Amino acid sequence: MIPARPDVSVVIAVVERPGPLVELYHEVVPPLSSAGLSFEVIFATYPWFRGLTAPLAALAAQGEPIRLLELGQALGETALLKAAASAAGAPIILTVPAYPQADLSVLPALVDRVRRGADLAVACRSPRRDSLINRLQSWILHAFVGHLAGGKLRDVACGVRAMRWSSMAEVPLYGDFSRFLPLIALREACQVEEVVAPVHPRAVHARVYSPGTYLRRLVDVLGLLFLLKFTDKPLRFFGLFGTVTSGVGAIMLVIVFLQRVTGGSIADRPLLLLGVLLATLGIQAIALGLVGEIIVHYSVGRQRRYRIREQDTARTRPDAA
Amino acid sequence: MPSGHACCFGSGAVTSEPQLSVVVPLYNEEDSVGPLVDAVRSALESIPPWELVLVDDGSRDGTADRVAQLAQTDPRIRLIRLARNYGQTQAMQAGFDAARGAVVVSMDGDLQNDPGDIPRLLAALEAGNDLVAGYRLNRQDKLLTRKVPSWVANRLIRLITGVSIRDNGCSLKAYRRSTLERMRLYSDMHRFLPALAAATAGARITEIPVRHHARRFGASKYGLSRILKILADLLTLTMISWFREQPLLLFGSGALAAMVLALGFGVASAVALAGARGVTDAFVLPAAALLWVMLACYLIMLGLVAQAFLHRARSAGEALTPIAVERLP
Repeated sequence: MIPARPDVSVVIAVVERPGPLVELYHEVVPPLSSAGLSFEVIFATYPWFRGLTAPLAALAAQGEPIRLLELGQALGETALLKAAASAAGAPIILTVPAYPQADLSVLPALVDRVRRGADLAVACRSPRRDSLINRLQSWILHAFVGHLAGGKLRDVACGVRAMRWSSMAEVPLYGDFSRFLPLIALREACQVEEVVAPVHPRAVHARVYSPGTYLRRLVDVLGLLFLLKFTDKPLRFFGLFGTVTSGVGAIMLVIVFLQRVTGGSIADRPLLLLGVLLATLGIQAIALGLVGEIIVHYSVGRQRRYRIREQDTARTRPDAA
Repeated sequence: MPSGHACCFGSGAVTSEPQLSVVVPLYNEEDSVGPLVDAVRSALESIPPWELVLVDDGSRDGTADRVAQLAQTDPRIRLIRLARNYGQTQAMQAGFDAARGAVVVSMDGDLQNDPGDIPRLLAALEAGNDLVAGYRLNRQDKLLTRKVPSWVANRLIRLITGVSIRDNGCSLKAYRRSTLERMRLYSDMHRFLPALAAATAGARITEIPVRHHARRFGASKYGLSRILKILADLLTLTMISWFREQPLLLFGSGALAAMVLALGFGVASAVALAGARGVTDAFVLPAAALLWVMLACYLIMLGLVAQAFLHRARSAGEALTPIAVERLP
């Protein structure tokens, strides 16, 4: 039976190449029940995965606390997570990836951290005993985005997480950014903590994705880097690129001009065209940066861009003068 | 509610609401907090009700605890504790948002500003200004890493914005709250606050000399590396000061310049075609001209996007109209 007010809702977004889901369910249950937590397990997926979720439906019919959510369009993992979390009955959401990643015995410890005040608790796989390819992929990801955590996170890619969903309300989540939830949550001044967990025993197999998936990851990382560092100051990003590009172009044009004046030929070499091309590209980049600044300037509006931890606490205390 | 800008202080009717808010952003300044509060207290003894808004910008030392202790003994001292380190601009904005006085004074938390100058700032504000900026006499800083970059930056800011402020880096400033309500600080814009106030609120601005002390506690928070950032911000500021209400004009001017270049290359290709070396030059020069034409088209389109965005933002009606002051005959 599904409890009316469970302690935690486990959300499993089934997006790509899931492992056997029934097995996963049976891995989620023991740590939670032995910790005395009441729970529901929500599998969020698409209609075309019905073949995979059919055994779960059978389990649910037998009275297991399983809920199946379907989203009609492939709107991405974040959309599945948000849909499931808003349908969840518990204030604390646990996310578990649909494939073996970190050992799930860590789940109660994650819930405990959130109950003690963390907004988000993330499993940190250590020691890494999974396949070399998986470790290499994690390492590359960390090389790009790890510094955004300001040294506070050692494993940004682990999908085993517990969170207080009300705290996530102000964290802008869309597209594929649920993957980087800890980084974005840190940025929004949420309290993010890591709990060390062993690698899942079955995570020894290398996970290799299609080239399209890696391309999307790359785009995600680029977007994340830009958004976290330059959202408020687009010109710092575009301006640097534009200044360097148009500067190089301008130098080329000066060289061409000097050669032409001294009687050289410019037509049989592409330097003139390359120079003009770089100069115009640079100006375009700067102009785009200025449009970005205009958008920031006009949309700053009345909204507050900071979060306050405490304000005037002395005033509200009865013993204060 | 703020009483507008007819008068800084009321007729002497003492209320519990402060009429002056002193806003100080603090980042890792636990040693400075005590002396700072003492200095403010003794400087503002004879002044109408005031409050001291101390904004802790995610300090990692005991700054927030020190302030909280002081706030418990003196209700005029308030602690605004930000959830993480947001930087000086957002910390100041947080202080401005929390300030309740009709007049707001901002200053540094490192004791380099002297609160004893506040009464003179207030007097200058009452004389009919919306913003009074202090400039540091006998600046007690290193020449090469602090004074020279700041001299260059101030010159550039004055040149570009037309707002004549000698010392944009001095935090000791006084504002009417009506001015602050018409502007919003973002990015690192606290450095250009007077120029921003002039551009967005139409503020009347003046400056007076203030004292400057050498740093007593803690370490300086920034160095030479900010020059590049300041240059990018200056470009933004230029645009906002000149083209805030007509972005299409900015991009249109750029497009015009690109068209002039295109025309130049066009003429050159015509000359090349007619001349002896025609065949070869007549290939690259028209191509170069076309690239400039392309840039011009692109700039016009960008300008239209910017203009459309301005239109949307204005119809949302969030921005308050600039201040205009009625002059009595």
